[in-house]
Amino acid sequence: MRKVYVVGVGMTKVGKHTEVSMRDLAAEAISNALDEVGNEKPEAIVVGNMLSSLVEQENLAALIADHAGLRGICGLKVEGACGSGGVAVLTGYLMVASGLYSKVLVVGVEKLLERPTPDTLRGLAYAADADYELIYGVSFAGLNALIMRYYMSKYNVKREELALWSVMMHQNGVKNPYAQLRNEITLETVLNSPVVADPIRLYDACPLSDGAAAIYLTNEDWKKLSDTPVLIAGVSNAVDSPDLSSRFSLDELFASRLSAENALRMAKLSVKDVDVAEIHDAYTITAAVSLESIGFAEKGKAAKLWSEGRFKPGDKPTINPSGGLKSRGHPVGATGVYQVAEVVMQLRGDFPGVLVPAEVGLTQNVGGVGSNVTTVLLKR
Amino acid sequence: MTTIQRIWRIKNILLRLISTRCLECGFIAYPPKASCPKCGSRKVVEEELPKVGEVLTYTVINVPLKGFEEFTPLIIGLIKLGDAKVLAELVDVKPEDVRIGMKVVATLRRSTKTLDGVIPYVLKFKPLTLKLNTTT
Repeated sequence: MRKVYVVGVGMTKVGKHTEVSMRDLAAEAISNALDEVGNEKPEAIVVGNMLSSLVEQENLAALIADHAGLRGICGLKVEGACGSGGVAVLTGYLMVASGLYSKVLVVGVEKLLERPTPDTLRGLAYAADADYELIYGVSFAGLNALIMRYYMSKYNVKREELALWSVMMHQNGVKNPYAQLRNEITLETVLNSPVVADPIRLYDACPLSDGAAAIYLTNEDWKKLSDTPVLIAGVSNAVDSPDLSSRFSLDELFASRLSAENALRMAKLSVKDVDVAEIHDAYTITAAVSLESIGFAEKGKAAKLWSEGRFKPGDKPTINPSGGLKSRGHPVGATGVYQVAEVVMQLRGDFPGVLVPAEVGLTQNVGGVGSNVTTVLLKR
Repeated sequence: MTTIQRIWRIKNILLRLISTRCLECGFIAYPPKASCPKCGSRKVVEEELPKVGEVLTYTVINVPLKGFEEFTPLIIGLIKLGDAKVLAELVDVKPEDVRIGMKVVATLRRSTKTLDGVIPYVLKFKPLTLKLNTTT
């Protein structure tokens, strides 16, 4: 397999983009990424997206490539629920690593704010098991709330400890010009926000978002397109059951653990080598179980660690300097691409928000309640 | 919102709670799987789950999905039934009275209308109350 490098990245601000169409959001991210590589035309495009049906549009690779002036190149869309961006990165990696293509553009795009919220929430719930769980009307927040209550009860974790995560994320996100929620919040903001699915409150959850991000992948021959190419040292995906009922365990994300273990092994790195990481904190509980499943914290200990001040800028590892899903936002099919773009900028030293010195970075993008997980290891 | 075809297709599984047990490693899965999620064996047999169990964890959903407005606040539990877990709605109990470890029993109840306008029935779970026979 050929080595694969990220030589260009581009993003749009995450938020509510009523005035911008899905194709224009994607084109803006692509344009920003192409600016970084002297407008070198890619040979293929991979689109990550979960719910373009909300805007009544499929065939996204053709739509976006054509709109961005890339008519004629190879194009495909991949889907893995909220982990669609991660599987798009993995697919783009494979296309370059295999030698089939030398220059591949990976674009994640999502528009969740086009339709009334109940329609969007219903769409997001399609990531769960439609036959046996969605049939009872359980929302995505509801599924995560089941995990949260179980976890808090089993490990005696306090509500306040979990809520501190959101406060920490907003502190980071306020400095990120691409973030959706750029305001500082207090513990009381979280604890007094409306209950969505008990014990999950509004400020335990990430917002609904529109956004697009792109990364440009090449091999050894073309890495000169950038003065600061970043190596994809490892990438791995694992799946688990979409249903919670048949899970082996409710307090560990099995697919998160496997995907992280395999990506680290591939990169010949240990979790202790990671300087900076962007993880998938769709809910405060998702942050806790992800940190533990990856190996950044012992089981049941993640919230205790962040309550003691761990994972903040300056700590090793620094987690979610972007503000994470909580503050940067979560344009679902784009999130996995945002994470890689952000960590690439951390390693290059040009992320325009909270910047930490880093040689090794990790991203983890989670689809469903941990049912489709991609981990990427990046190295300067 | 679901369809009448889906309800018709899986009615037996939903109403009798049919799981699959692996003949190689013994793992029991609900919903039923074509192969064992634990060891991958295709030697799985259907097994009906008990209808009495206990609440492992639960949530009270205040922001409903489209189609479930009339059932809100909606109480959803993960219920331990023998060696399996089943996700279902909890009924006949106030949200503030639900507890982890609470004993519950399956009961046949109306669900939300399908897209075709049909009213399906599904199993929900209610608190198990042992009624002592006081007549002599």
